[in-house]
Amino acid sequence: MILFIQQVVSGLSIGAVYSLLAVGYALVYSVYNFTNWAFDAFMVAGAFAGFYAIASFFIPPVPAIALALLAAVILSVGVERIAYRPLRLRNAPRLFMMISAMGANLCIINLANLFFGGQFRKFPEIASGTIFLGGVAVGKMDLFAAGFSAVALAILWFFLYRTRAGLGIRASAIDTLTASIMGINNDAVAFMVFAISGVLSGSAGVFYGIKYAVYPYLGIVTLKAMIASIIGGLGSLPGAVLGSLLLGVTETLVSGYISSVYRDLFSFSILVLILLFFPNGLLGSKDSEKL
Amino acid sequence: MGYLNAILILGGINIIAGLGVAILTGYTGLFSIGHAGFMALGGYMTAVLCATLKVPFPVALLGGGIFAGLCSFIIGYPAFRTRLRGDYFAIATLGFSEAVRLILNNTYTVIGGAYGFTGLPQITNLPIVAVVVILAIWFAHNFVRSQYGKNCAAISEDEIAAEMMGINLLRTKLTALFISAVYAGVAGGLLGFYMAYLTPSFFTISRSSDLLAAVVFGGVHSLIGPILTSFLLVALPEILRFFAEWRLIIYGALFVVIMVFRPQGLLGYTEMNFQFLKVGWLKIKQWRRKGGGVV
Repeated sequence: MILFIQQVVSGLSIGAVYSLLAVGYALVYSVYNFTNWAFDAFMVAGAFAGFYAIASFFIPPVPAIALALLAAVILSVGVERIAYRPLRLRNAPRLFMMISAMGANLCIINLANLFFGGQFRKFPEIASGTIFLGGVAVGKMDLFAAGFSAVALAILWFFLYRTRAGLGIRASAIDTLTASIMGINNDAVAFMVFAISGVLSGSAGVFYGIKYAVYPYLGIVTLKAMIASIIGGLGSLPGAVLGSLLLGVTETLVSGYISSVYRDLFSFSILVLILLFFPNGLLGSKDSEKL
Repeated sequence: MGYLNAILILGGINIIAGLGVAILTGYTGLFSIGHAGFMALGGYMTAVLCATLKVPFPVALLGGGIFAGLCSFIIGYPAFRTRLRGDYFAIATLGFSEAVRLILNNTYTVIGGAYGFTGLPQITNLPIVAVVVILAIWFAHNFVRSQYGKNCAAISEDEIAAEMMGINLLRTKLTALFISAVYAGVAGGLLGFYMAYLTPSFFTISRSSDLLAAVVFGGVHSLIGPILTSFLLVALPEILRFFAEWRLIIYGALFVVIMVFRPQGLLGYTEMNFQFLKVGWLKIKQWRRKGGGVV
């Protein structure tokens, strides 16, 4: 029983990292109706910036994480300016946006690979050690990551539902054109959305790097986050969180009790099953209601 | 000569796989980033049929292609049924190709797992590749001009309008996906029997990106564009060695540049055209008739 609870706790801790990414996807998807394929690159940028800040420049953890987030935000906003905005302004088909995002991603990831090298880097210990809660071991860093995710998502919820800027984003999510007629600045909305998604992906990158290792292709984990956001319903924020936690727990249970080799196969099978039986995800609405 | 031969063969194989992506992404507007998975399925199936079960090579190649095509329904049906546009499908293809690679990597009976499927005879040569490429182009050309192909093009332009014109979205998309996966599978089979072995590391995401790049650069709604670019994308890294390292970086940057400045691709909406031959032939006939009259 202790083992089972232990597995669930580890699952929730990886699910917390997924949920940061999945919420970022859901946010961009709900406003712009396309999947931000370059998310991967922002996450890698965050992980690398955090790693070099701590390992090479010996900056204390909290400012280092802030630097990592800044790097991810700059990259995210920059990619929006260069790769998305021109397409958005001329109302290009979504396929083009996806290809453009894909291109930005390929370019950035492989640049990182070329300049930093593909080897795995171990993050220096920041908060090592575990806390025992009734026989269940919880890593301090996992606890911090889960707490950070919860706080970040709470702030995001507050921002979206209790501020004027958040109202503007929600209006754009329903209809960008009408929102802009009502005086909402589309470019400002784009800036906010991509800055938020930069913060989310950058922090996910740092936590993932600390949990496993930092390397240019670590962003492949965003595939899991996409699966999580589909499980929850693409474009739904609570759905993204629910999907991520479910996926994280399922994955650790599968690798604990069945086979760690086929863990990713299970995540993918879940995706196919969800698409078959819950086409809109668990909490997704039928395309009309968003966020 | 051997080197040139290798470039031509690998280029030809890439043309076949590129045509598959052109039908799916270029004509039907469905974004696939997992075609390497179909190549792997087709390649391994061909290898099992031909090397283990001793089926003749052409039959095995076709069998591998059709196997890949049938497997495509595993993701095609759930993803298209939801009608929720391309995103689900793109993610599903990516997940699918990773899942295929995972299974191949960990299945050690018969196909050799991560060590690779070794000991295949080297059957693929230039004439065989040339014949398959010509058949592939001929079929793709006919498909695109047929009612099915026109339905695909209609879906890529406007899904709702296409449906209102009475096009069955699910069936048309599944047909396009099936054909495209068969192409990829055949290309995988040829690749295995050229390299004389197969390993899961042949079929990574970077190969899928290469194929997608061929279609994006070559142009949507065009066969000749992707044919040229999928050949060039194999030949260029071979000729320009320094290019190999920067290849994916340049592809990525070009994706963005092309989408911003010329989204239809280099030869988008331009089709392979043999009209000039026909016109020339008519002119010759006319000239001969005139000449005959004089004499």
